[in-house]
Amino acid sequence: MTELMEPQTPQWWKKADVKKTFILWIICTAVIGYVGVEFHVRNIVAPASENMSSIISLIRIFTWAAAPVAGLVSAMSITVLTSGRHYGDNPPPEADHEIRNSPKTTAVWIVVSGLLCLFALVGGLVVLQHDNEAILDTKAVQVNVVAQQWVWNFDYPNGARSEDLYLPVNKPVVFHITSKDVKHSFWIVQMGIKMDANPGYTTETAVTPDKIGVFDIRCAELCGLLHAYMQTKVHVVSQADYDAWLTAQAAMEAGA
Amino acid sequence: MNKRLLGALATVVIGVAIIAGVGSYVANAKNDSGVLAATPAGTMDTPQGNLPHATLAISVYPDSMWRNKGKVAHPGYVSYGPVTNFEVPAHSVITMTVTNYDSGESLNNDYFAHVRGTIDGSATLNGVRITQISTHAVGHTFTIHGLAVNQDEMFVSVPMQAVAEENIPDAGYTSKPNVTVFTFVTGGPGDYVWNCEYPCGDGSIAKFGHAMSTMGYMSGHFTVKG
Repeated sequence: MTELMEPQTPQWWKKADVKKTFILWIICTAVIGYVGVEFHVRNIVAPASENMSSIISLIRIFTWAAAPVAGLVSAMSITVLTSGRHYGDNPPPEADHEIRNSPKTTAVWIVVSGLLCLFALVGGLVVLQHDNEAILDTKAVQVNVVAQQWVWNFDYPNGARSEDLYLPVNKPVVFHITSKDVKHSFWIVQMGIKMDANPGYTTETAVTPDKIGVFDIRCAELCGLLHAYMQTKVHVVSQADYDAWLTAQAAMEAGA
Repeated sequence: MNKRLLGALATVVIGVAIIAGVGSYVANAKNDSGVLAATPAGTMDTPQGNLPHATLAISVYPDSMWRNKGKVAHPGYVSYGPVTNFEVPAHSVITMTVTNYDSGESLNNDYFAHVRGTIDGSATLNGVRITQISTHAVGHTFTIHGLAVNQDEMFVSVPMQAVAEENIPDAGYTSKPNVTVFTFVTGGPGDYVWNCEYPCGDGSIAKFGHAMSTMGYMSGHFTVKG
């Protein structure tokens, strides 16, 4: 007597909807990664410090690292939305992939997600910590930053004071930041540093400007009525120009 | 007419009316005191050359009772007047006269006790040249600053000497105000703001509440027009 042969179901990765999803995944990953990097990074300001260059590189890497995740979600969504609708009380037999309730799949998903998070955490900490090493540099330029609704002012070691920040190029600078009233946030946009200014406390951050030019300082903490106007400029100049400015400014302050 | 259509139309009309009502209320409540344009006053020699000259005269009061006989949202708020929005010409020299009727205390940031951003870094206080005043006798400051993007930088900050307590009457305003005059040069057209940097408001946070945090009292717009 001939045994009845059960129809063989193809392995799950050979099924049409899985193949379709896989191809869509590759396409979506490429599109999301490219568009994310190109549009995001292109809209970031040109860097004026190694710190900011590292941050931009990190954003580029993170975007590409996140692209496969977003790509998979997009691909699965497209597959689901474009598949034929099944009517009935029970799932169709073809939906019974081995991948459902698969401990291996769950483990892979958790491990890959965990590694991505760990990569983001370590990468971010390494980059953000890099310029803070200058805080320990005894030859670094020391600048006191005072925030007050809704202006900044800066004090230099020789007695010079200003409402615009002046810095020498290629020299580490340590900022000692405080506030006279509410919480503000000291943000040098093109240099990639942002630090809270808290009343009654002094916070520190550091940066090494590597480009001569004029850049933007903004308050990054909603601080009241004219918060949007709490902006000023940072002038990065040569060491000689910085010394000359510092001397003149100190003399002006002393004579004032 | 179809009932559904009528209902939809009524919803739209009521919605528009509510939005218009709220908008009108907010517009009326914002304390926008109007704009004071600088008065042309010939030309003046400055370090930047001979420039068109214009003047502005304003005052600082210990309250807002002077405005519309006190019929304002906050008659007790210290205030600048007659308005708090100013318009001055670009590439010109501006002379501002500020008459201060208010008393004061100590500044919390001595940076603002200095005259900054004026021609030669000075001003006159009751006719006497000054470059700074005591941090313990500051009534208010007039500090212009602004967005740093797409317009010339402008920072002018001048402290106003406080009226001595013994010269503050129980009612009305002192007959011995302090008059500060200062001159500065404007750049290209731009929209700036000004505010007082002496914490003369109220509230639990460094006295930067109330009058200091409400447009039309101790802050306003400063427009440089081309």
